[in-house]
Amino acid sequence: MSEYHGIHIEDIFNSMKARFRPEGAAGVNHTFGYDISEEGKWRLTVKDGDMSLEKADDLSSCDVVMETDGATFVGLNIGKVDAMSALTAGKLKIRGDVNTFGITSKIFQKYVPPGAETTQEQELIALKQTISVDQRFATGPVMGKFLQGLKNKTILAIKCPSCGRLQSPPREACAICRVRNDEWVEIGPKGEMRMMEYCYYASPDPLTGETRETPYGAIGILLDGCQGEEVFWHLLRPDQLDRVQMGIVMGDRVRHGTRLRPVWAKNRTGSVFDIQYFEIDE
Amino acid sequence: MQKTVDSADAYVIDGKLALPYSYFAGRVGSTFITALRDSRQILGVRCEKCHKVFVPPRQTCEKCMADLRENWVTVENTGEVINFTVVRYSDRHLPREAPYILAMIKLDGADTPMVHILDEVKSEDVKAGMRVEAVYSENTTSTILDIDHFKPVS
Ligand SMILES: [Zn+2]
Ligand SMILES: [Zn+2]
Repeated sequence: MSEYHGIHIEDIFNSMKARFRPEGAAGVNHTFGYDISEEGKWRLTVKDGDMSLEKADDLSSCDVVMETDGATFVGLNIGKVDAMSALTAGKLKIRGDVNTFGITSKIFQKYVPPGAETTQEQELIALKQTISVDQRFATGPVMGKFLQGLKNKTILAIKCPSCGRLQSPPREACAICRVRNDEWVEIGPKGEMRMMEYCYYASPDPLTGETRETPYGAIGILLDGCQGEEVFWHLLRPDQLDRVQMGIVMGDRVRHGTRLRPVWAKNRTGSVFDIQYFEIDE
Repeated sequence: MQKTVDSADAYVIDGKLALPYSYFAGRVGSTFITALRDSRQILGVRCEKCHKVFVPPRQTCEKCMADLRENWVTVENTGEVINFTVVRYSDRHLPREAPYILAMIKLDGADTPMVHILDEVKSEDVKAGMRVEAVYSENTTSTILDIDHFKPVS
């Protein structure tokens, strides 16, 4: 008798009686066959809230029969092998109705290898909480003017007096030239898609603690009037994630990205979400 | 300094940062908490090599990296104040209304101090070296606050 994952096949069968749950077997009336290659054949009968197990030569009378090898069988019992993958890989074959074998997980407690009981039975403490912290965000004059612009359905950028680059959302200074920005320019509101990140994990909104649905597309849009790296970051309409194309500039070859337009919120409060999201301009 | 910017559009937004999180105590931490809750015992772990008892318990010795998971010891419910501070502001995520005292308490039998609330004493009367004892909570939360606070030994 060989060992798989340090466990004998016999250990699993011999412990079935002890692991039997009459309440899980209520109303079940089936014979299950186990044909483990090079190990042997077993017939399990579950009837009237009771069970019996015997070694058998012929399993043809069983309602369902499992054919597998020792390593897969032990793996299934200790949770190291997934039944669906084993079926797909051909390492596990079921004669009869596959779902009938599913019932056995209700009829028996999980097999726990000897020595593993103590760690399995320990109560583990997990604490789920939501911390709530008061916040105040002061816009300052520059971000304040930008947000007021959104309230009025305009997207504003601030221009560096030295290098001429546009920044939106605006910064008080150009960090490259180290000078104070002073000129306001209206950009967009339409533009072309430059890049997109599929976000599968959303961190909570710092002002509300709400977490938006995932996946969502965080997109960089080159708004009309902007050039090069002057992209504006926002969200893409959730149902259009797979319908957009990024624009690319490589040397003098330009491929334009999908044209997008903002969808304005009905009630605008001077927030970056006065634009709900961008959608395809069609 | 001359004011060079027009602040007419500046405004303030109030918000509440809500941070949902899930903290898992781990096997060692869970043993510590369940002993506190079910038998009002404070457990630590001992490193045999370094002759050091860690409370709260940890999985590994910080000095020699030995696995300490099985080296449980029970320490006393009494100990001494190593140091303390007074928390003077209130916030929803803090365990008490301010002002309250947070003390580092080295329990008898332990070599490392743990932080907990010190109560039933005025902050001006607290001194390092003061003898204190654990007061258990009436209601369990399966957290370190199953010890409600420490108080001076009467
Ligand atoms: Zn510049
Ligand atoms: Zn050590």
